[in-house]
Formats: sequence, structure tokens, C-alpha cells
Amino acid sequence: MEKAKSFSGGRRYRNEEITVYWKPSACVHATYCFAELIEVFDPGRRPWIDLSRAPVDKIIETVNMCPTDALTWKWNDNEKNRDISPDQTNHVKFRRPELLEEDLPETPKPKSVVVKVMPDGPVILNGTFTLRYNGKTKEVSDSLISVCRCGASDNMPFCDGKHRKAGFRE
Amino acid sequence: MEETEKNTTGTIVEVTDEGPLSIKGNFVLNDLKRNNVSTPGEVLLCRCGKSSSQPYCDGSHCKKQA
Repeated sequence: MEKAKSFSGGRRYRNEEITVYWKPSACVHATYCFAELIEVFDPGRRPWIDLSRAPVDKIIETVNMCPTDALTWKWNDNEKNRDISPDQTNHVKFRRPELLEEDLPETPKPKSVVVKVMPDGPVILNGTFTLRYNGKTKEVSDSLISVCRCGASDNMPFCDGKHRKAGFRE
Repeated sequence: MEETEKNTTGTIVEVTDEGPLSIKGNFVLNDLKRNNVSTPGEVLLCRCGKSSSQPYCDGSHCKKQA
């Protein structure tokens, strides 16, 4: 089992098949989890949740007993998360649907910015990046800017098409 | 921590005053005139039109300004 990882609002625990999320701020100390399955949920141990110590179906059953969303779970195979019946009360689909989108363990790589140097023209930057110019800092998100390369633009640092008139040949 | 993934590529584009265009980080540079695609990690592109090693800056802008 991988080590407990922090994520927004708590921790997550994984084994081969499932991920269990713990959100301490939601816990009302109903104690169902460790009354039912102390091998897995042991408040006196660190980490207090160890998913390797019981069969998956037993862990799921116990997580479903949690009265709040302090404990929720999902299958690691996202296909299996599609048709979850309502009796799986603490599946993230019903409690914390935002976690369904969490793509684990790898986080998607950000898309690369594409910089196109146009022949005898501007340089076009397309994507998501931080832009600094004239003392300003701007976050450009999934869009495009065109920067002058000929030195003749009246709208610096951006291209205004003047390279043609200026006869720019690199 | 690797929790919330950032919606940024971490690429930084800086238009330097009276100088070149600095691009740093994760980007693909596609030079259409010279038919050259690369991922240099960092470049300085000429903005004055006077460089003799286009599309890169060769410092020519400094000579003209002085």
C-alpha cells in the first residue's frame, strides 16, 4: 500500500483496488469505523488507516457505515465508479463527487505552450503561460498572443501587421 | 504536495524592455521559416528585427540604441 497522501481537505489511502478518503473536519466521532474494523481503522496507529489489513469488501462496508463524509471511498478503476448503487452510501459519487475526477496516482501533465515563429512576421504564443511586459504580469490561459519581431509595430510589444509595410525580411 | 493540479504550464514569457523576448519553461518552438522544431527550455527571441542570427537575439538592439 502506498503511503498516506495529503490532498485538499484531508488524506487519502490506497490499496490495489480502492482509495479511501479521510476528511477529519467532518468526523463526529461516531466510532463505527474502528468498532467494526480496528485492523484497518486504528486511531492509535500512524497511519491510522491501513487498507492492507482486511478484505476490500469489508473495508467498503465499514466506510459505508460512517454517518458523515469523513470517510468516503472509490474504486481505482474509474470504469467501476460509473454504476454505483445508492446503498454504497459513502461512495464519493454521493458524498464528494469532485473526487471522482481526481486522477490518481499520476497528475496529468500540463500541455506545452506552442511558440510559432512566423516567416518574416510575428512570433505567436499559444497556450497557458505567465506573460510579463511593460512592468505588468498577466496570466494567459489557453489563448494566443502575437508578439512583434520586426521592431516596427505601433502597438508594442504586440504585432499590428506593420512588418509587411516595413518590408521585414529576416 | 501533489494535490490540486495547477492549471499552468509553468512557462514564463517576458518582454524585456528594449530587449528580446525571453521564453522559459515547457514550450515547443516551431520556426516556420527554417523549418525547425525544438524544445529548448529557454530562448531569447529578437524583437528589433536587426539580429543576424534570426529568430534569436544577438544583441544588435544594444548597438542601435547606444
